[in-house]
Amino acid sequence: MKANNTLMRADRSASLLWRRHMCDKLATGLSWLGMLIVVFMLGSILWTLFKNGLAGMSVHLFTLSMAAPGQPGGLANAIMGSIIQTGLAILIGAPAGLMTGIYLAEYGAGSRMARIVRFVSDMLLSAPSILIGLFIYMMLVVPFGHFSGFSGAVALAILAMPIVVRTTEDMLRLVPVAMREAGIALGAPKWRVILFICVRAVRAGIMTGVLLSIARVAGETAPLLFTSLGNSEWSLDLGRPMASLPVAIYQYAGSAYQDWMQQAWTGALLVTLGVLIINIVVRVGTRGGRS
Amino acid sequence: MSVEVPVKATGMTQPLDSATTSKDAPHPVAMQVRGLNFYYGTSHALHDISLDFPERSVTGMIGPSGCGKSTLLRVLNRMYDLYPGQRATGEVIFDKQNILNSGVDLNVLRSRIGMVFQKPTPFPMSIYDNIAFGIRLHERVSRSEMDGRVEDALRRVALWPEVQDRLSASATALSGGQQQRLCIARTIAVRPEVILLDEPTSALDPVSTARIEELLDELKTEFTIAIVTHNMQQAARCADQVAFFYMGRLIEVDSTARMFTTPREQQTQDYITGRFG
Repeated sequence: MKANNTLMRADRSASLLWRRHMCDKLATGLSWLGMLIVVFMLGSILWTLFKNGLAGMSVHLFTLSMAAPGQPGGLANAIMGSIIQTGLAILIGAPAGLMTGIYLAEYGAGSRMARIVRFVSDMLLSAPSILIGLFIYMMLVVPFGHFSGFSGAVALAILAMPIVVRTTEDMLRLVPVAMREAGIALGAPKWRVILFICVRAVRAGIMTGVLLSIARVAGETAPLLFTSLGNSEWSLDLGRPMASLPVAIYQYAGSAYQDWMQQAWTGALLVTLGVLIINIVVRVGTRGGRS
Repeated sequence: MSVEVPVKATGMTQPLDSATTSKDAPHPVAMQVRGLNFYYGTSHALHDISLDFPERSVTGMIGPSGCGKSTLLRVLNRMYDLYPGQRATGEVIFDKQNILNSGVDLNVLRSRIGMVFQKPTPFPMSIYDNIAFGIRLHERVSRSEMDGRVEDALRRVALWPEVQDRLSASATALSGGQQQRLCIARTIAVRPEVILLDEPTSALDPVSTARIEELLDELKTEFTIAIVTHNMQQAARCADQVAFFYMGRLIEVDSTARMFTTPREQQTQDYITGRFG
């Protein structure tokens, strides 16, 4: 404040400067506080997961399927089930989301139809995931008479899609008009300009969206409860109920058995590590891809 | 605008039927604009423009910002078609056809009338693929023939010595001047008849600008060139004929020498001597 006062012009009031100085301090302090709270919560979650989960890490976890309490068992079928269902969900959801995003940014842009699609997609983005599960239950479980890994994958695909839609559209809007016109000026049809120039130009950003959607759906439990149900046996049959990590965690964590609860912690740690790795891949990948 | 400019401007150009030769222009006419009006929605941007583009020569288009010169350029390859609400009336005769007609195949038209933009616009792919992209759109060529075409295009813009060892490197890593030469190479690789350049050097340094200007001199032995420029010296150096636009009207068009020494219109004189614009 002293330094400020010596530089003070006669026509500026000292109290105004002091107030601004205080506001600045307050705002800085509050944002630090907010940051600390968030970091503390994240840190505490990670710490708890590691503390409780690491003890259950063993080869059995990855080689044995789920077993009755007291029996030697692991989460191999749940890990495999999660990989299959998430993978299939992305195979369905990402292309559909990509095409919808292209429609919104390139073909529909500004039309009434595009506004409706964008609205619906944004609503899906924030829809409770259990509703999606119920919807797929009605569409794919009830008509066939049994739960299935496939219906689980479709439910996850519906959750993944709007994320890809949004990132694709946002990214395509960043492509400079001049780049589009340059393609058109060479005599390229619109679809070629979009696919081979525009999408290419922002492929790193679109990949980020896809990876983030994987991270999002890999941890979903609710939409799987009514669709793939869960399975304690090793099964790769998409037409039968299929195990998954989140459902296994849900089932084990609610049990009264010590070994099941231990595996629930370890399973939770696995899911978190998986999501963490995807996020790190996104960071590193996009840093390289943009330059 | 109370001056009856379009009549004078039309008087300057050759009559419609003498599309082959005239004593004023030794070259036959590649493109004829007749009675062209252009609208951005309800805003009338070009008023009754008539102008000839002689084959294998450079037509410079000058005038203050917003005078319509870039708009005219974007009519010549129907670029305005991308934007609903923009429309043109009148005639642009190219290869005996009015290219403003709705039946014209725009992709073929744009392969015959290429365009280079103000900012270099390399595609997000390798240097090689930037050139090959345009060729692949219109022709099926073998791998070895493609290699030859790419090399030829890069040689003609004098970029080959600089990039021959890194054809598979990303085009976005090139300098601004190199990128613009790449864009010109990409355009001529498609083998157009006309090349439209929209202020192609305004984003470049003086050395790169000089190289592009030299390049234009060589290219005009083979292509018909229309260049929009804000740089009066550039128009004087590069163009064979110069057209001066003001507020959506073609004020005057003449050989470069006469335009810069004895323009007939006061507005032209004022503009080229820097009194406005």
